[in-house]
Amino acid sequence: MADYDFERLNVLLVEDSPFIRSLLTNCLKILGVGGVSTMDHGGDAIDFLKLVHSDPMKAGVMSIDMVISNWDMSPVDGMILLRWIRRHKDSPDRFLPFIMISAYSEKERVQEAREMGVSEFLTKPFTIESISQKLITTIERPRQFVHTGSYFGPDRRRVKVEFPGQDRRILTDKSPEVEVVHG
Amino acid sequence: MADKKNIKVRLYRFKNRLREKTAGLSGGEAKIPADVLAQAQAALADMAEDYPDWVSGLIDQLAEQHRRCVDSPDTRRVHFEEINHIAHDMKGQGGTFGYPLITAFADSLYGFSYSKGVLTDNHVELIKAHIDSMRAVITNRVKGDGGEIGTELTKGLNQAIEKHKIS
Repeated sequence: MADYDFERLNVLLVEDSPFIRSLLTNCLKILGVGGVSTMDHGGDAIDFLKLVHSDPMKAGVMSIDMVISNWDMSPVDGMILLRWIRRHKDSPDRFLPFIMISAYSEKERVQEAREMGVSEFLTKPFTIESISQKLITTIERPRQFVHTGSYFGPDRRRVKVEFPGQDRRILTDKSPEVEVVHG
Repeated sequence: MADKKNIKVRLYRFKNRLREKTAGLSGGEAKIPADVLAQAQAALADMAEDYPDWVSGLIDQLAEQHRRCVDSPDTRRVHFEEINHIAHDMKGQGGTFGYPLITAFADSLYGFSYSKGVLTDNHVELIKAHIDSMRAVITNRVKGDGGEIGTELTKGLNQAIEKHKIS
């Protein structure tokens, strides 16, 4: 079995607590992540993503492969950042994998993040195992992106669950109302 | 080909470039080497040693907000919001650094500091009880469940909660 080589991976880490930011940066670097850019809150992260897109030399990084962001930050929190990435016309990459870190573990909160198009959810308090696992899941199990009138983000159905009743989903890949885009 | 005007759903299926970038083109299984995971774990343990000093600073901030609640009942709501914010941060961190009691007490404080109703003196006393309990955990370096001391601290906090019960 081969080893992952994260050397070419560029992660944008958004966390307002200097202590946790430093901890996560250290851990990612030890895991071998080659590029870790850090920002204090969502607003700075948005500015940085725009800069990476418009002037990568000045930003010091050619592209961002993944965002790992805290949820509860001020003045711009992780949900606003996620919304901007997924929905704003100025977003340079609406498909960017996004791991939300949060001490909010209530079902409704997780659901709220899913509805906004989060890729993965890392619950605090975290361990090295949980951080590594989220990295691996993001890499190994990316979901197709779904764009409907009310949602844009990774497919919220991660696993295929056998359902004993009638399948009431109206549209399938073959429906004329569905377009499959490959890239 | 589908009529673009009638499209209701678009499904985007991309090549997994992130995997190509990190695990190569071979397609076989990949892993993070055990020694690398062990190094990261050791780094986390190292940082955990600084955690009590850092969290003491947060407890001081909580104490300052509590003092303001006592001194200025008119602005209690603002201070409760700040306390709620600090408690939220703390509940996410204690467990990572070997202090699950900080996470438990901060979680309780997070619940009690979120109130849309009138903020009474009992509310303020409850905040104080949580701050005292967290201070005791850090001063005595009560790691894990804390054994007997941990049980006593939890019991003490629960008694204070019962005493200042908010109806």
